Parts: sequence; structure tokens; C-alpha cells
Amino acid sequence: MSTPFPACGTEDLQAAVERVALVAGKHVARTDADATFPTAALDAMRQSGLLGLLVPVEHGGLGGDLRSLIDTSIRLGRVDMSVAMIFAMHCQQVAALVNHGSAKLRQELLPEIAAGRLYLASVTTETGKGGHLLSAATPLGQRDGELVLDRLAPIVTGGDHADGFLITMRSPDAQSPHEVSLVYAHRHQLEVSGSGEWDPLGMRASHSVALHLAGRLPEHQIVGRNGDFRSISIQTFAPLAHLGWSACWLGTAAGALSRTVKMLRQSRKTAERDPLGSEFLLGRLAGARERLDSVHALLSHSCRTVETSSDLSTPRIQLLLNSLKITASEECYRAVDTLVDAVGMRHGYLRGSPTRLEQALRDLRSTTLNYHNDRLRLADGRLVLLDPEVTFA
Amino acid sequence: MDPRFTALLRPLLKFLGERTITSDAPLRELGLDSMQAVELLFAIEDTFDVTFPEEDLSDATFATAGSLWSVVQAAMEAQHGNASGQA
Repeated sequence: MSTPFPACGTEDLQAAVERVALVAGKHVARTDADATFPTAALDAMRQSGLLGLLVPVEHGGLGGDLRSLIDTSIRLGRVDMSVAMIFAMHCQQVAALVNHGSAKLRQELLPEIAAGRLYLASVTTETGKGGHLLSAATPLGQRDGELVLDRLAPIVTGGDHADGFLITMRSPDAQSPHEVSLVYAHRHQLEVSGSGEWDPLGMRASHSVALHLAGRLPEHQIVGRNGDFRSISIQTFAPLAHLGWSACWLGTAAGALSRTVKMLRQSRKTAERDPLGSEFLLGRLAGARERLDSVHALLSHSCRTVETSSDLSTPRIQLLLNSLKITASEECYRAVDTLVDAVGMRHGYLRGSPTRLEQALRDLRSTTLNYHNDRLRLADGRLVLLDPEVTFA
Repeated sequence: MDPRFTALLRPLLKFLGERTITSDAPLRELGLDSMQAVELLFAIEDTFDVTFPEEDLSDATFATAGSLWSVVQAAMEAQHGNASGQA
């Protein structure tokens, strides 16, 4: 992925990304230990213009493309998977506004995002729908020319820190739960309440909390048309989720391998017996690298496919994008798990090792659950049946 | 639309009620889910003796009864030279 980064005002995008990565690296141990949101890294994203990566230049953004999102997510993932996921999911929301928002909504929001004043969180989870993205239980009301929103969300990454939310709701007057609308709400338009409790195994800095959101919104804050979320999801939301998440996870595993190799090379200088003489170690390093190269190749191919396909809804493309998510989630975790075996207890299992394998493994354990692989495989099984010729994207 | 086609559709559209299936009937909103879509396609293939190329199975195909029927008709014309479903 060697696409040059687009220009970014006085400093180029690469410098902005490095600045955010540096800040994220300074705070990663503390935000992981305390399970607190990486506010310093978010501030750096605001100040560097990185929050506006996907905002078109005419709205004051960096005008970055899909590849720049992937490259940035990999880079941030190398340092802190929570920071990378916060960034990638924000960009997913921005892309939905850029691609599907009305001219009025784009005009209102995109310059604010580019200026670093609008960090967006995604609200798609809902109790009782089993994680099904394309259905919604709670209806959006309509009263006196306004939208009426009142909704619980069990898990909202960055929910306590977001300036605005993109929220899925059952469309007003919907006949079935499959008629879903995406609606934007600024934090000051809502009453936001929640327990703030968050004490997970990994992804501790993502601070993904349960929220209750309630408020009244002008009608133009529906993204696209009422009931349009299915097409928004197929054309933008799901592809960007799978590409962005996979990039974050690949970055995390690549960072883990990089730190491990550096630690091993350093340890040769002081060890009595050269650790690199172990054939077990060499085989495991090779195995970890193979997994990462496989994910990288699949990610690059999926990115090209999304960039060059006008309709992303055909079975072959849906299968490819789902394969990317499933493969990245399983292989990145396995790569780091292999590294734990490769280097053993001290550098593989204990907190405080410069390899940070322990944190990478905990963070990556979330990947199969983050839109559960079981649910994707169920959808994939149906798609496989639709394509007896087995065509490839 | 062929009555055999609408007869296959009707039991899958649980939110249709007593209404007639028109060309613009939105299939997903009326209750067609992805597993039912697979079973529906198999039933259409058996009834009309056609197969669907992968590229025809986009989201737009399943948007309405009419959009799905036009894909069925196109497949019949391509595979049998007529749109009646008679081989």
C-alpha cells in the first residue's frame, strides 16, 4: 500500500499520523491499565486534522481515500488497537455522511469534522436483536415536524466522549424491523445518560459504554432517506467497517511482531545462548509472519475491489468482504498467540514486557466478537448457496 | 407477474396481510429475510426451470416483486428463448 498520503495543510498526513501515534504510545500503558478513553490521542487527532481524513477538501478536510484510511488504521493499530478502532469507526461514520448525507447535513457537519470539533460515535447495537445490524427495534418518532428519538444502546465505543452520534432506528411508520433509518444527533441535542461502567478483558481504552439517548431532532438529520440504512450499509458502512477493522487488527499484530523481533535481536547481545538458534522460535516467527502477509494481501485485494466495483451487493463481493473480517480476526489473533509461544513466559505472558504481546492478545481477542463471526458465517453460508459456480471477486 | 411467481412469494411476506402483491411491493420490508431469499430462489429455479447467474443476485434484484420478476423473465428469455417459463 504505497499510495502517497494527500497533503494536509502545513504538515502532510504522514506527519499528522506520526504525531497521533506518538501521543497514543505515551499513554497506552495507562489507558489500558485504567480502562480509560485515550483523550490525549483524540485531542491529537482533532488538532492534526486527522479526524477529517475522509472529509473532502472542499469542506476543509484532507480528502483522503480508502487506502489512506487503511494505512492510517494500520499505523495507529501498531501502537494501540483501541485508538486505531476509535479512529477507524469515526471515519466509517464520516464516510456515511459524505456518501449519503443531504447537501444541508454535509454542509453543517463536514467542516466541523474537518476542524476537529466533531468526533463521531456509532450507535447500532440494541438489546434483543442479537447483533443484527440491518434491523432495529426502537422506532424513530415524528411529531410536529421533528424526529423524536429515545433509545438504549448497550455498547457505544467512545460514547462518553463523542460530540455526535450516528444512530440506527426503526423508520417512522415502518411495517417491519427491517426498515431502518440512520439518523445524526449532536450531543447537545440529546439527553445522554449511562452508567459509565467499562471493565473488559481487552480494548480497555475504547471505553465502549451503555448509553440512553433521548432528544428531538430536525428531519434533515436523517442520513439518506428514511429506511435507507440497508443501502448505506451495503455501499459504505459494512465495507468500511470490515476494511477499517481489519487494518487496525493487522496493525496490532504487526506491531506485536515488530516489537518481538526487535526484542529478540536486542537480547542476542546480552544472552549467554543465542535465542535465535532455536528452530522452534524461527518456525513460530515464520508462522506469525505468514498469517500477517495473508491478511495484508486479502486487505489490499478487498480495498481494490471496493474501489473499483459499482455494486458491492453481489454475493462474490459480500463473501470477499466478510472473509476479510473473519480471516483478519482469526489470523491476527493466532499470529500473536504464536508469538506468545515463541518467546515464552517472560516476554510473552507478563505485563510490562516491551513486546506488549499480553495486551495485543487481549485486545485481539475481541475481534471475533466485534460483529460476531458466527453471524457473518451464517450470512456467508447462504451466499455460498447462491453461487454454485463459485465466482471470485 | 406470473401467478406461480406471486404464489411462491406470498407465504414469505409475513407483513403483507391480505394485500395484493404488486410490482412495487418492497420484499424486505414485507418480511423476506436472507434465508427465505435463498429458498425462494431455489423454488423459482425449480418452477421456471432457470438458473441465476451470480451477478444477477444483487441487492437491487430483491428490492421489489417487480425487480425480482424482471430478473426471472430475463433468465427465462436467455435460457429458453421465451419469458413464459415453458422449456
